[in-house]
Amino acid sequence: MMNEKYKLFLYSAFALILATAPLYLNSYWVDVLNSVGLYAILALSLNIILGDAGLYNMGHAAFFAVGAYTAAYLNTQFGLPILWALPVSGIVAGIAGLLVARPVVHLRGDYLLIVTVGVGEILRIALINDVFGLTGGPNGIFGIDRPVLFGFKIRKPQEFFYLIWGFVAVTIFLFYRLKNSRFGRALDYLREDMTAAEGSGIDTGRYQLYAFMVGAAWAGMAGTLYASKMSIISPESFSFWESVLIFIIVILGGSGNIAGVLLGTFLIIGLPEAFRGFANARMWFFGLAMMLMMIFRTEGILPHRPRVFKSLDRQRP
Amino acid sequence: MEEFFQQLTNGLAVGGIYALIALGYTMVYGVLKLINFAHGDLFTLGAYLGLTLLTSLGLSGHLGTVLGLIVLAIMVTGFVGIAGALLERAAYRPLRDSHRLSAVVSALGASIFLQNTIMLIYGAKNYVYPLDILPRTTLHIFGLPVPLVRILILTASLLLMAGLYLFIQKTRLGTAIRAAAIDQGAAKLMGINVNQVIMIVFLVGPGLGGVAGLMVGLYYGQVNFTMGWVYGLKAFTAAILGGIGNIPGAMVGGLLLGVIEALGAAYISIAWKDAIAFCVLIVILIVRPTGILGERVADKI
Amino acid sequence: MKRFSTLLLAVLFVATGAGISMADTIKIGLMAPLTGSWASEGEEMKNIVNLLADEINANGGLLGQQIEVIAEDDGGDPRTASLAAQRLATQEVIAVIGTYGSSVTEASQAIYDDFSILQVANGSTAIRLTEKGLKYFFRTSPRDDEQGRVAAQTIKGLGFGKVAILHDNTSYAKGLAEETKGLLEKTSNSIVFFDALTPGERDYTAILTKMKAANPDVVFFTGYYPELGLILRQKMEMAWNVPFIGGDATNNPDLVKIAGAKAAEGYYFLSPPVPQDLAFAKSKDFLKAYKAKYGSYPGSIWAVLSGDGFLTITEGVKAAKTTDPEKLAEFLHAGTQKVSGLTGKIAFNTKGDRVGEVYRVYRIDAEGKFILQDK
Repeated sequence: MMNEKYKLFLYSAFALILATAPLYLNSYWVDVLNSVGLYAILALSLNIILGDAGLYNMGHAAFFAVGAYTAAYLNTQFGLPILWALPVSGIVAGIAGLLVARPVVHLRGDYLLIVTVGVGEILRIALINDVFGLTGGPNGIFGIDRPVLFGFKIRKPQEFFYLIWGFVAVTIFLFYRLKNSRFGRALDYLREDMTAAEGSGIDTGRYQLYAFMVGAAWAGMAGTLYASKMSIISPESFSFWESVLIFIIVILGGSGNIAGVLLGTFLIIGLPEAFRGFANARMWFFGLAMMLMMIFRTEGILPHRPRVFKSLDRQRP
Repeated sequence: MEEFFQQLTNGLAVGGIYALIALGYTMVYGVLKLINFAHGDLFTLGAYLGLTLLTSLGLSGHLGTVLGLIVLAIMVTGFVGIAGALLERAAYRPLRDSHRLSAVVSALGASIFLQNTIMLIYGAKNYVYPLDILPRTTLHIFGLPVPLVRILILTASLLLMAGLYLFIQKTRLGTAIRAAAIDQGAAKLMGINVNQVIMIVFLVGPGLGGVAGLMVGLYYGQVNFTMGWVYGLKAFTAAILGGIGNIPGAMVGGLLLGVIEALGAAYISIAWKDAIAFCVLIVILIVRPTGILGERVADKI
Repeated sequence: MKRFSTLLLAVLFVATGAGISMADTIKIGLMAPLTGSWASEGEEMKNIVNLLADEINANGGLLGQQIEVIAEDDGGDPRTASLAAQRLATQEVIAVIGTYGSSVTEASQAIYDDFSILQVANGSTAIRLTEKGLKYFFRTSPRDDEQGRVAAQTIKGLGFGKVAILHDNTSYAKGLAEETKGLLEKTSNSIVFFDALTPGERDYTAILTKMKAANPDVVFFTGYYPELGLILRQKMEMAWNVPFIGGDATNNPDLVKIAGAKAAEGYYFLSPPVPQDLAFAKSKDFLKAYKAKYGSYPGSIWAVLSGDGFLTITEGVKAAKTTDPEKLAEFLHAGTQKVSGLTGKIAFNTKGDRVGEVYRVYRIDAEGKFILQDK
């Protein structure tokens, strides 16, 4: 494949092009990139759960919502600056992830999938019904402050671009380190062979829970950024379809591979925008493109590992 | 008490439809371990095709209501079945040897594609079935008013399920399908043409989904291009609830889900109905991790 | 990978190529749900606005220039709407019509305001949208509090005591339901049932059974017509004869098709007048032209209100003789403009809300026709 030097050059060139994007793109395309950045954070956080730990989670929007609503509530009720809410909503979403995962983490793949779908739907219904009078019902919460960084108020898409992509950069760095840590190796092991991992003394259940918690917490922080950017949040932004979208990004990009997940985000969030020229046929082309990409790159666009492991899956009943 | 029984029949009527759609889900899953998210949109396709055939051919006028509807149902099954088989050939077969979730994403792509195809062909507006096809009489059973159509629909669902069950359990082809479901490699060695088996599964499963679409159209009257998404998700939930891959399980899961929804709406809250259903699902899965009738498998994730 | 990137590039070229357009036109944006659950509304909005624009262009244009309508899809969800708004804002439109759904509109409000672009919403009735003091925001649709007032008045006027209220948990329907509930509770009426259905389902018998047990004199439904059509039909099959009154989101000819004329008979609803009932030559000509071009009458009153949004903008430009958004906004806020729109005279107050009595009461007769009732 590519050698390391070439890879490094490619990545830095890409980073440079991206970092200077606001200079030559108009605010619409910058805002598309902002959207891509937010979903990149979400997809990277789901990647820990789905790609690294191998837990089928199709309800990730729930943790995104928990983070967004926590931040919005603290900001509008208590005037907490929105960026200060970032760690708080991360912690709250992480705890939510732990509570959800604890009783169900042992379920077999597809059963876990429907449970997470269920959790996402339960939460959305709770948000719509204004649970405990916290969420504002179908109206959601509005009037959320813009973030202030070192006395500078972030308003324009170009300014949000650096906030969001700065956060993406931090995420990539941390998750890359995490992947190559003891934790990351343990996840690799238990995803590929749970029984063997357990036999080698890895507390598989605990590691899976940790993975779920980290992923959920990160999605919660993405929620904070989303709330501050939109300045209004409402339940329809956290529908089942959002969870599906994040799920698609991870699998289509190449689950377990950070670069793949990033590329997947560009495709899945960018393509519907690129297809705007097709008017009401744009989602038709999008669906077609999704099928074609999967057919031609069956393991995702940038797969995680060589095809050695592929036959394992087929033997499961 | 009367209200309770009324709600029970309400739930059974809804559940019968869920069960019928869940059958197709569970059949495909049983053999391919694939969550076919496009199944709901094949169901929509059935509803639209049924309407088009009904209005353009005027079947019930030529052949009389009963015969006309049977011919219509067979035609819809055939067309949607062919669409399902084509879908399998184009979007799923190339992915058969790759990671399971790759095929799931392809299925999601197919779902978007089909839904928007229907929208582009028919337009985004609601379509309405002719009102006078089915008899609109209401029977009184033990003092409960029950529309005749409901009984017909539930009976038709049960008959189709029984037929499918017999087909899978008692025929040679059914045995081949079961063999392929257990171990494709071994089935191949026994001389079973696995590709053919899978094609048949994709003819029958989506075909049943198409008939369910036709029934929903005939009974409720209104169809639109997004209806498959909600029904698909409900049917998937029902299939999981009963134990996915298991045909009686799909039936039990579908009926149970319908009843839970109706009773949840009646005695707890209408607005929280779906959340209640999901809570029950989660509790059942915590107690029985492979669904109500699912086999317990000592298996790794 | 290579195959794929070639495809992507090709697509990008097509997409950007479509954006290039002629100079010397007045660009008006239309933000509408062209995909997703509300695509039928969006389709009609686009048809109506294009029809009106073609008419003006055929008669020499606006201030001597041709009008170009740029339609962007908001998908009926806030995030896509904010992107659509950014996209329209960077295409130098002078004004934007749209959109359908209050929360979707709200996600775009700040963006248009930042770019000083006039926005005329058509299907956004939430009260708070015009309470923010935004300079460039107007709407041709009425507000929830106005409809709530008329609803409470109508229910009392028809002499009903015990009221069941059913909404669908959308921002609009819940707002209207709560507004009406509050007003009714102040008087002698009692609310015996208040809950929400889940839109997009087919079977509402569980809800009807529960509602029947509460034994109301009348049911007030604030949701949309597809669900109501099914409810009316299932109500008839249950042999339950309670009268229904509904909000303006049920004003759609498809309602009668879904329910059947027999089940729909006797149903009351509140709505701005349907175009067929307007005495203005404008609306009659419009309907004729619409039917000639698209084969049927427009179904949704909200889509018709986007036509009013278009007329607000073009007539405003004509009267103020400028396309400068600031001057246009000042002109419209002054309330001196009296445009004859498709649903009657259009004028705005200082908040940007449409002034004047808009709501009428309709009843469906045995043939499924919408009959205007005397107040």
